[in-house]
Amino acid sequence: MKQATQLQLLAVGYDTAMMEVIERLLNSHADWKGTVAHSKQEGIEKMKKNRYDAVLLCAGVTAADETAFRATVEEEGLTTKIIRHYGGGSGLLENELRAAFNQSGL
Amino acid sequence: MAQYIYHKADTRGHDHHEWLDSKKTFSFGDYYNPERMGFGALRVLNDDTLPGRKGFGSHPHDNMEIISIPLKGSLVHEDSVGNKAIAATGSVQVMHAGSGLFHSEYNNSVEEEAEFLQIWIYPEDLNTSPRYTLGVLPLITDVDVLHTFIGPGSLDGLTVRKDTWFSYGVFSSGHTFNYVIRKAANGIDVFVISGSFFVDGKLLSQRDGMGIRNATAIDIETLGAEARLLVIEIPMDIHDQN
Repeated sequence: MKQATQLQLLAVGYDTAMMEVIERLLNSHADWKGTVAHSKQEGIEKMKKNRYDAVLLCAGVTAADETAFRATVEEEGLTTKIIRHYGGGSGLLENELRAAFNQSGL
Repeated sequence: MAQYIYHKADTRGHDHHEWLDSKKTFSFGDYYNPERMGFGALRVLNDDTLPGRKGFGSHPHDNMEIISIPLKGSLVHEDSVGNKAIAATGSVQVMHAGSGLFHSEYNNSVEEEAEFLQIWIYPEDLNTSPRYTLGVLPLITDVDVLHTFIGPGSLDGLTVRKDTWFSYGVFSSGHTFNYVIRKAANGIDVFVISGSFFVDGKLLSQRDGMGIRNATAIDIETLGAEARLLVIEIPMDIHDQN
């Protein structure tokens, strides 16, 4: 069930198996709603159609791709945060989101 | 002027589960402290204990240099790029996660606990080919020498970045030495595995750590016998490319 405070998150990564784990991790957290995209194009299309609080850039996303996601934020006038996710699993995920949203506790 | 950031052992984050006891110098997992988000490119320093046969099941990583240093017992490592190895005390494993892999790490013993340091370093480049290297820690019989075991040109080919060095040594009481920074603008993180040391006159005891910025060298003095120290020289800017 969606909660009023749920962060809407889009995770973009090009490794299907790894993104299954990321999607599961995101949606196991009561305060997050996670969606995944498996290509730059799919990610940008989803950013244009939906409103996300943050886009997490995961495995395979290059620096050039990151520039394209940031450009989409500018061009579409979005407030979406672009966050590079390091480590690929649960270790830093919550930390990265807390830091981005300046939250002491999610 | 040098700046010192203490990470006292008893101020670390602490998770205790049936399968894992983890003390975290920096924010990780459920532990979040915005003042403890790493030290330059050093992002994670976890002091982990696994009961017999317990461990981390298969899970993914990418874009991180993950170093495991067993301090007691041994770990069984297996990954999705075909590596299977036992990392025993006295060895060190470096997993370059790169574009991504899955791995598991279990205590190799049925009964004995395994203790190890789990250290994560931000990578120099994104999405490179994953690889795994198992090397050795310098011999503990070679007392009073600080050996560099990870870094460009290391004997075992243990490298994480071109601008990062890991050194380790076992020291006798009263031994004094210094560490000279190899690359200007790098910082140094010292972590006391056992015993006590004065580092630039500041007392550090077992499992204490300290980050040091803006220094060109640090002076170290050992207190007590069989004192073991890990020294990590690391870039302060994670986007600092060579």
